[in-house]
Amino acid sequence: MSNVISFKDVSLNFGGVQALKNISFDIQENSLFAIIGPNGAGKTSILNCINGIYKPTNGSIEIFGEDTSNLEPDEIANAGVSRTFQNIELFENMTALDNILIGAHRHINYGPVQGLFFSKKARNEEEKARKISEDVIDFLEIEEYRYSYIISLPYGIQKRIELGRALAMQPKVILLDEPAAGMNNEETEDIARFILDIHEELGITVILIDHDMNMVMDIATEVVAMDFGEKLFQGLPEDAAKDQKVIDAYLGVSG
Amino acid sequence: MKNRPNLFTDYRKESSIFPNNTQKFWFAVLILVSCTFPFFLSSYWKLLVTTSLLTAIACWGLNIVSGLAGQINLAHGVFVGIGTYVSAIIGGVATSSVIGYELDMIIWLPLSGLAAAFVGILISPVSARLKGLNLGLVTLALVFIGSHFFSNLKFITGGAGLGRKAASLKFLGQDLEAGLQIGNVLLEKNDIIYYFSLFLCIVMGLGVKNLTRSKIGRAFSAIRDRDIAAEALGINLFKFKMYAFALASFYAGIAGSLLFTIAGGVEPGTFNLLYSIIFIAIVIIGGAGTVLGPLYGAFFFTTLPGIIQAVLHATGLSDTGFFLNAGEIERIVFGFFIIFFLIFEPRGLWGIWFRLRNYFKAWPFSY
Repeated sequence: MSNVISFKDVSLNFGGVQALKNISFDIQENSLFAIIGPNGAGKTSILNCINGIYKPTNGSIEIFGEDTSNLEPDEIANAGVSRTFQNIELFENMTALDNILIGAHRHINYGPVQGLFFSKKARNEEEKARKISEDVIDFLEIEEYRYSYIISLPYGIQKRIELGRALAMQPKVILLDEPAAGMNNEETEDIARFILDIHEELGITVILIDHDMNMVMDIATEVVAMDFGEKLFQGLPEDAAKDQKVIDAYLGVSG
Repeated sequence: MKNRPNLFTDYRKESSIFPNNTQKFWFAVLILVSCTFPFFLSSYWKLLVTTSLLTAIACWGLNIVSGLAGQINLAHGVFVGIGTYVSAIIGGVATSSVIGYELDMIIWLPLSGLAAAFVGILISPVSARLKGLNLGLVTLALVFIGSHFFSNLKFITGGAGLGRKAASLKFLGQDLEAGLQIGNVLLEKNDIIYYFSLFLCIVMGLGVKNLTRSKIGRAFSAIRDRDIAAEALGINLFKFKMYAFALASFYAGIAGSLLFTIAGGVEPGTFNLLYSIIFIAIVIIGGAGTVLGPLYGAFFFTTLPGIIQAVLHATGLSDTGFFLNAGEIERIVFGFFIIFFLIFEPRGLWGIWFRLRNYFKAWPFSY
């Protein structure tokens, strides 16, 4: 199996704060890769670096074997990396369907003049995008919310629609930033099932951040544990639960 | 399925502009009624309505860049000015002080739009670097640069205080300055401008509607609401901000090319800061980010002096020396409406229309 993403000695500084300290790891194709760690450990910074929103201060990140230090976020997205955000970043004034259609943006191919006239090509491309979106809506079982404005939808559904928007990109890698945060057991169960489907049925490499340890231990194939910007552990989830450094980071060390 | 026009059975139908026959019918009625206006409106009201139509086109432009794509643009009037002067150079009459080539409208109309769009593209890289108020300040600078050029390029604009003649009407080799005789009906120059404006207004209005239902419009809204998320979804911010500025300036240029043909002349001092601000005010009053809002706003703003004059005349106040004259009342009312809409109805006149429509749709039930 080949590496989809590899971090090589990546550091990230914000002024005096070191968010990431010499992080190196490889994420293999078709893995369900979980990043865990306490608040402020640098988990989201890792996603932002993959995504191109942050540029590492030192070191390099390769996505599909290509160095991304000169790529803009949209170029990385168009290479097949999509993501959801920790605090929902949906377009609130639009319907769920429009949000998902924006996710399908990279599959629609026509220019502004054709948009102005809504030419035949534009019409066909829009129809194609709509089909992609409807597949996603069907996959995530959000048919009834299609025409609802995002503001009017409950939190759990919003999370699911954001997942749908990321899936409409038809990505090769999907980055999920706390998909189960703030959810009750039943909703977490649903999300876990969707993540497994995305991983197994759609064959997408999943990179997951979450605080729900039960879920992470159940579904992840590989775990990286972080604390204060450093990598504490990398390996199988069942080993992470036994690792003393991980336990210390989570529970605190006495003395 | 034939008798259920609101039950959509394919995606294409759902995203069409007029999904059912009722809407098609009323749109056709509206166009037909508009076509009869020159035959019964007074020349003053004809002028107001024509100006409204052209202002609406310019405001749609501003609505694309500010309402849809969320980029503050204080220099919209400058793009209108560019359209005006490009049309005046290509289609205007040369005198001893200004240049003009008296070419056909079929040449100057698209070129004035394209020239404005070109300048829009030139300044769009700024919007890729700056956001919000900082971008606003740069466009503010553009207003002053524009004013400077307009008043000093005397061979084009005639110079401050003097001005020049606007483009003359010649369409497909037919000189329309003296009007057009069709059978027994004589269409005056301003009637012809009205029909051109009406046609352009319909076409360009449909263009805005098309944009909002296409990938381009969705990308604009995405950039406006959350630019970081938009970028993470593969939307190239630089490219789409450039599209927004280009389309907006194109609309402004087209509007500008015809806007001063009614009065016949244009003075470079017209395109000052206030002129640009008025477009923003119209878009706010009409409803920013909506398709029909700028049209409502443009009609409201342009016909306001006419309405106030009519009210003053009907109440007899204009004769008795009311302590405010019509112009002052107009400014006060307009300023009041800007504040009113910003506080109470952010979706503008369109929002009021939207709620009224939904109320009567549900009538006699409250929801």
